[in-house]
Amino acid sequence: MPVFKLSLKIFRKNWVAVSIYIFIFLGIAIAISANSVPEKSIGFSQEKAKVALISEEKTPLTDGFQKELSKSAVLIKLPDQTEKLQDALFFRKVTYILRIPKGFTQSVLSGGSMQMKKTVVPNSVDNAYVDLSVDQYWNLARIYAKHEPGISQQQLVNQLKTNLSGSTPVTIKAHEQAKTANSFSMYYFNFLAYTLSAALIMGVSTLMVVMNKRDIKRRNFCSPLRASSINGQLILANLLFALSAWAILILFCFILDSKSFGTQNMVYFLINSLLFTGSMTSLSYLIGNLMKNLNAMSAVCNVLTLGPCFISGVFVPQEFLNDTVLKIASFTPTYWYVQANTRIAKLTQFGWPELSPIIQSMALLLAFGAAFITVSLVVGKRKNLMNE
Amino acid sequence: MIIHVKNLVKRYGDLVALDHLSLDIKEGEIFGLLGPNGSGKSTAINCILSLLNYDKGDVEIFGKKMTPDAYDLKRDIGIVMQNVAVFDELTVYENIDYFCGLYVRDRAERKRLVEEAVAFVELDQFRKFYPKKLSGGLLRRLNIACGIAHKPKLIILDEPTVAVDPQSRNKILEGIERLNAQGATIVYTSHYMEEVEQICSRIVIMDKGRIIASGTQEELKAMITLGEKITVEAFSIEEEQLHQLRELTGIVSVDHMDNRLVIKSDKGNNNLETVLEFLKSHQIGFGRIYSEMPTLNDVFLEITGKQLRD
Repeated sequence: MPVFKLSLKIFRKNWVAVSIYIFIFLGIAIAISANSVPEKSIGFSQEKAKVALISEEKTPLTDGFQKELSKSAVLIKLPDQTEKLQDALFFRKVTYILRIPKGFTQSVLSGGSMQMKKTVVPNSVDNAYVDLSVDQYWNLARIYAKHEPGISQQQLVNQLKTNLSGSTPVTIKAHEQAKTANSFSMYYFNFLAYTLSAALIMGVSTLMVVMNKRDIKRRNFCSPLRASSINGQLILANLLFALSAWAILILFCFILDSKSFGTQNMVYFLINSLLFTGSMTSLSYLIGNLMKNLNAMSAVCNVLTLGPCFISGVFVPQEFLNDTVLKIASFTPTYWYVQANTRIAKLTQFGWPELSPIIQSMALLLAFGAAFITVSLVVGKRKNLMNE
Repeated sequence: MIIHVKNLVKRYGDLVALDHLSLDIKEGEIFGLLGPNGSGKSTAINCILSLLNYDKGDVEIFGKKMTPDAYDLKRDIGIVMQNVAVFDELTVYENIDYFCGLYVRDRAERKRLVEEAVAFVELDQFRKFYPKKLSGGLLRRLNIACGIAHKPKLIILDEPTVAVDPQSRNKILEGIERLNAQGATIVYTSHYMEEVEQICSRIVIMDKGRIIASGTQEELKAMITLGEKITVEAFSIEEEQLHQLRELTGIVSVDHMDNRLVIKSDKGNNNLETVLEFLKSHQIGFGRIYSEMPTLNDVFLEITGKQLRD
């Protein structure tokens, strides 16, 4: 298979140009990998506000209140001086100052006013918990006093202590999230579009440009090797190159994030990237049939890889892109590849309703591949050597 | 016959590139296809090799009709294109090996043939060089090696010495003669009449897609009325003396330009002695004297009224 072997030699000769793209990609992938430690919400701890409690009376109920409040807040002792209290608030030593006025206990027990003076730091979420604790204690005290007339303050404190000692176990049951959503895999496979496109154009298109040089083509045509055999060997070499490029990039993914290979999502990532490889191989084959000058290859490669990647959401997520830009991008395989990737990353269930839009995107990738090959054949027929 | 071409017609729109071209090339000869640029030599070669569609005519090689699918025939043909057709990505050795590999599958046999081809074109010390590092002459030799490595019975060389230095040109021409001596039939196209004169046993002269003359060198030169051509370095000669020279027997034309006196004789007449006596008797000072027999350029000039390289 001389043409096949020749193709491999040309690929090998071209490896520096291809490997530049792969090494840049690897560098970025490793950077993403290092920065993508997933945040896991497995529990919570209660935030406690810093409270200064100034009580102008000392009763069993106010003592009990102080003990109860200390469970849900950090009590800070401060002298009852306006300036010092204001400084403490300003410097955030405390966020809540609660003043129990003289005669407050009696007023609560007799069903009178329940007004306390509070000074708080604005927009402090923690203070809401203090309000709840204060209201809960004193409202309960009033209810007991009303329904159990003659109860002593000490008894009331004991009752309240028992009543408020109960706690409610909390379990976080957030909606189940896909292990691959916003993960390294998603970023890796999205960015893979750029590297794979560049590697395939630099490899496949270069080979085709070399083999399509008029004199070389004529020289090959003079040999006893059938045209179908020459084309077959070329296609085989191109497919081998494409599959090798894909396999190498997937291997890097495995090395950097082997855990994600245990997920079902990864199967779809792999299928999607394989279909994208097919589509881009066809495009590269077409470019190789259209181009005549190898010197322009690098420029063409940059335009045809960076352009679609920018507008299709490889570098910037699709949700941040303008509708018009996305409409234009939908005429490129990269757009459908990225769209499928984003959906695959969010998959938690693998039924038909969830998979159908992904399969639709994959089918479009196949259609792009078929279209590029068809155009290549038409171009090849028009450029028939014997009519030149 | 190795090649039989009958009434070949090739048109590019209104331009007739080949006008009922007929050729017969015999086994073992070096057949020269001579003509100025654009005379249809390369078009003829491309049509013969089925690289181009033609409008009319028949082409037979080794007694069989030549078609794009005639792979058995292609096996015994070696082609050296006008433009160098090698891969810049392969070394000298790899290039020859690739083109030989299109014809020869056996690895050991191919290795032997490639080594022979490398030695034949004297590129041994350049075997690991890439084509871009080679001079024009070496590149042409590589192009030839790629075309002949598989030891074909018929070798077609389309202007293989274009833009080549004289040393490389001589090596190429010597090589072609050796290939012919080894049994290969050669078809050689060129617009350099000296090359064709030097190596070809039979010559066809083409112009505007037509054959205007064919035969051996001697046969072609016999077709024209011109004989010996004498060139003399003469620094001062009067118009009257030129007129007297023209009156001498057997002299066809006399021209004096840039201190060079060119005297053309009738076919069969040798006037060198007569001219020398005339110069002495008229005390005309002269320097170097050259005498040459008619060339193929003279043949072309007499038939078409223009130079081969016009």
